[in-house]
Amino acid sequence: MMTSKHFLSPASKALAVAVLFLAAACELPPRNSASGVSATSSRQQDSTIANEEYVMVTTAVTMPMYVHHDQAAFKKWGKKMGVKVSILGPAEWDVPAQINTLEELIGTRPTGILVNGTDPAIAQVINKAVAAGIPTVVYDSDIPNSNRHAFLGTDWYEIGKMQGEEMARLLKGKGKIAYMGILGLTNMESGFQGLLDVLKKYPGIEVVGKYDDKANVEEAARITSDVIAAHPDISGVCGFDSNSGPGIALAVREAGKAGTIKITTVDWEPEHLQLVKDGTIQMLVGQKRELFTWYGAQFLYDMVHHTNNVGIPYQINTGLMRITKENVDEYM
Amino acid sequence: MLKKIIEDRVFSLLTMLIVVVIVASIVFPNTFPTFDNFRQILLNLSIDTIVAVGMMILLISGAFDLSVGSVVAFAGCMTAYLMQFYNVPVPLAILAGITASLIIGWVNGFLIAYQGINPMIQTLAMMGIVRGLALMVSGSGIQNLPYWFNAIGQSKLFGIQMPVWYMLLTVGTFALLVNKTIIFRRFYYIGGNEKAADLSGIRVKRMKMIGFIISATLAGVAGILLSSRLGAALPTMGRGLELRVITAVILGGASLSGGYGKISGALLGALFMGIISNIMVIARISGYWQEIILGIILISTLWLDKSLQKKYSTIA
Repeated sequence: MMTSKHFLSPASKALAVAVLFLAAACELPPRNSASGVSATSSRQQDSTIANEEYVMVTTAVTMPMYVHHDQAAFKKWGKKMGVKVSILGPAEWDVPAQINTLEELIGTRPTGILVNGTDPAIAQVINKAVAAGIPTVVYDSDIPNSNRHAFLGTDWYEIGKMQGEEMARLLKGKGKIAYMGILGLTNMESGFQGLLDVLKKYPGIEVVGKYDDKANVEEAARITSDVIAAHPDISGVCGFDSNSGPGIALAVREAGKAGTIKITTVDWEPEHLQLVKDGTIQMLVGQKRELFTWYGAQFLYDMVHHTNNVGIPYQINTGLMRITKENVDEYM
Repeated sequence: MLKKIIEDRVFSLLTMLIVVVIVASIVFPNTFPTFDNFRQILLNLSIDTIVAVGMMILLISGAFDLSVGSVVAFAGCMTAYLMQFYNVPVPLAILAGITASLIIGWVNGFLIAYQGINPMIQTLAMMGIVRGLALMVSGSGIQNLPYWFNAIGQSKLFGIQMPVWYMLLTVGTFALLVNKTIIFRRFYYIGGNEKAADLSGIRVKRMKMIGFIISATLAGVAGILLSSRLGAALPTMGRGLELRVITAVILGGASLSGGYGKISGALLGALFMGIISNIMVIARISGYWQEIILGIILISTLWLDKSLQKKYSTIA
């Protein structure tokens, strides 16, 4: 480049200088972003608890299941401990917006961050929070490729497996089933996989379809009635998001097949429990979502206050609840 | 006269923006007015702004595109899919992603301009189709994209992440084109009075189709950039983005009836919304309010739009 300098016109020389200058100012991302825990800046710690602030960042912040379980428990914890708690995130299921919120939050240096593990793509920003010295706990679904300090949640694969086993039992290993949830979410897809893996053991059960109910009751009902029309001999339907159950149940009841078509689904809102009690839904797989955020927040607190000098648990499975007509009264 | 009022709107938005920034700086002196925070705001609005530039051109010509959010997801997923499962080299995969977006825009434009399908119905249908395609190619999302692909969106220039520079480049290029070239000026004539534009010899149908192609292509570029920035392609990317972008563009001075707006207004509108959402994070205002505030902003701008038109029609 230097030797050919002679032959260049002043304009192209200026251009070359500009390009070199830009190239020098350009900074490539680190090669391995997952292992980027460097230079944890020492956080000046505020000794007064009243100044502490714990922030939960989720997506779809208005989803009833999140509001009634995760957020309610988190707020209750804040009240009990006498610290400030805030809940942030987009109203829609929008993972990039959750990432943007986290990015903007890190600059405001909260005491601890509780992150809903919505998608593996949030690993980068979690690492950024950890590198900034902010205690960060992931709940619901793990982000295993991140440097998060702890994880609490359930195994979605297990949720699918439980539904598959229950369905096989209910149908005595023979019949047609369909299943639905929000397609394209990592945790739900692993639930679907769990269901399918169990059903492989039962050649008498035929899966007629996988549907996207978009976490919408009307959509779940519409899909179910279409499935009933296309397969009048359908014997079971499985749901994977909190609105699947009520929708499936509505369509099955309208078709006059309550109890004949077996339903297993997730979540245990009052509406779900009522449907189990009257025999429309046969089984609910319940997550202990309250424990995700209650103990998640407690982990953050313990980390900040060095409660135990051995640190905090790395990975916690809060377990699942199997709710059927026999035990439904305990939850109502 | 009306042109002046609309230009005043860009001016009044800028004034409003400055007031908001000053107030936020006083209320949150430690967290809001920092270089890091502004860098982050710009990065977070860069994707929306690139889409908004295309939407602005469409709105100038009197149309809009609801499928852009889905195109953002599809272009990112398609590019990632080719790289991940067929080992297509990064530049070729990007080219394929952009071409696919261009084709979606062409289909939209062709059916709307030449076959007379209503733009809202056409792009609403396309929104569903393209979202479905994104789900089909990516399943639950594609992670671990090639290093050089991620470098496109994660590198920094002068300490600022690349998407911000791409955004400025896009805004600058299109602002120049729309202001200085006769071809792009035609969008104003079409949006202002389609019949008159047609009679004066402008090939209205072709220009309308070009508008949809530009909008979809820019959405595709934005989607590829977003995947590169995230290091992953998610089928849920760009959900609700169309509403956000239309809000930003209307806020930035476009009129739903066409004929008005500036490219810089798209940037300004997006900046305004980016700063509002940043303040909500800093003030710890929950996401419940987000949609309410977004709705209020949209309604008040549309109302402003209407009352300005009324005012003008009485003057004229």
